[in-house]
Parts: sequence; structure tokens; C-alpha cells
Amino acid sequence: MDEISRHVYSEEEKNHIFNEEFLPLIHSMYNFGYRLTLDADDAKDLVQDTYLKAYRFINSFQKGTNAKAWLFRILKNSFINDYRKKSKEPGKVDYQEVEAYYNSDEVDRQITPDLRVESLKDMIGDEISNALNSLEVDFRTVIILCDLEGFTYEEMAKILDIPIGTVRSRLHRARQLLKEKLSSYARSMGYKNT
Amino acid sequence: MNTPFNPFTLPGGEAPTCIEMLQLILDGESTREQLEYFVLHMEQCPPCFQSYEVDMQIRQLLKSKCCREAPSGLKEAIQIKLNGQINF
Ligand SMILES: [Zn+2]
Repeated sequence: MDEISRHVYSEEEKNHIFNEEFLPLIHSMYNFGYRLTLDADDAKDLVQDTYLKAYRFINSFQKGTNAKAWLFRILKNSFINDYRKKSKEPGKVDYQEVEAYYNSDEVDRQITPDLRVESLKDMIGDEISNALNSLEVDFRTVIILCDLEGFTYEEMAKILDIPIGTVRSRLHRARQLLKEKLSSYARSMGYKNT
Repeated sequence: MNTPFNPFTLPGGEAPTCIEMLQLILDGESTREQLEYFVLHMEQCPPCFQSYEVDMQIRQLLKSKCCREAPSGLKEAIQIKLNGQINF
């Protein structure tokens, strides 16, 4: 954590920040934890650990800055350090391959989606959740951060410790993979021309 | 006919592709000017329109189906643990 901008808060200030700024984010934090670990109990532990760490390092949180981005970064780091090994994770993705894909002409042909709004409207069950959970964790993460939590490229880059260009290409690829999954669900639901 | 200025145009004067414009919009990184331009562009570009509609529908699905709430009692459990640590 950033040692340079260290503040020293009084006990009262600490508790105020924790209770008023950190704890109200519990649902977003839990959802992020759940989508990372894909396990309700692990998510609970991960969120709890994150909050305890957040309190311990609260002096490195600058009041008035984005508490949510700060907490999400701690959660993501805790996940990598403590949980990633034991979670059910498919193999890692070769990002160079992803970048190469993004920079190729192949991308443009994807502008016409192989998916219709009508078939999406019929996905009233767990299809979307299953599709999201089936993505490799790094792709899942950017979808959550952008589409559910509304973080900017800059915030995502900080949370994930990656360059903005990588955020952009990862997000692009993640959306495509999600659509591919949803298209295959649509086909299995009987939509001929998905 | 005069073509309106495209606010997505890159500093080098390069014209953006549809997919590049669409991604900036989806990612929430567009300026107000770019958004307005894109709305007009979509009216004349069916692939962009369809793609945008699908992406928005997916986002809506994500928001309605992929936001699990924290189990009740988690907040309290954290507070109890924390109080234990502070007083210790
Ligand atoms: Zn277009």
C-alpha cells in the first residue's frame, strides 16, 4: 500500500471511515468475492479478511478518494494471495495471444453479433450467471468491474495493477467470450438464428 | 454534403472503426459529445444499433441476475471480529 500518503487517523475517525464508507459497500464486495471464488463460504471469508485488512491499513486510505476502488484492490490482492490456489480455476490465459487477437482484423467482423435481443430476453434463469462464471477469472473480473460496478479504465487499471491498454483489450475479449457462451445457450434453447 | 466532425477521431486524424466507437461507449469512457455522435451514427448503422442493443440487454441481465447480496450477519460478524481485535 502507498506509504507516502500516510495519514494518521484518530480512533474515532477510523471508525467513522470504516462504518460510513467501507461497510456500506458490503454487497458489492461480497458479489465480487463470490464471482472470484465461485463459492459462498470462500466469498464470506475473503470479504471478512479484506475488511480486517482494510481496517489495519486504514491510514493509507486517503479520505475523499474512492473507497470502493481501494477496497476492491485489497480484495483482489487477497484473492490472488490466499484463494486463487485453492479455487477451481481453469488454466491461465496467454495475454499476448489476447492482445494479438485484439489488434487483428478478425475483430471487426464481430460487429454483427451472433446473438439477438429476443433470445436474451428469454434467458430468465441462471444462463447469464453460468455464462459469467464459466469465463476465466481475469475476464470475469473486468466484466464485473465495468458492467456491474461502473469503474473507469483508470480505476480498473489501479485495482488490477495492469496498464489501461490491457484493461481495454481484456474487457473487449471478455465481452466476446460472454456473448459466445450466451449464443450457445440460445442455440440450445432452440433459436436457430441466434 | 458536409460530414459532421467525428469526436472519436484519434489525435493522428485516424478514423475510428465502429467497433472502437462502440467499445468506448460500452466501457463508459466516452465523452458526452461522443455519445451524442454515436446515437446519431447508430440510426444509420444497423450493425452498431444491433450490437448496442444486444450489449445493453446483456448488461441488464448481468445487473438483474449477477448481483448476489452479502449474507445477513456478515457485516455484524466483521464488526464483532474487529472489536475483538481492537480491544485485544
Ligand atoms: Zn457503426
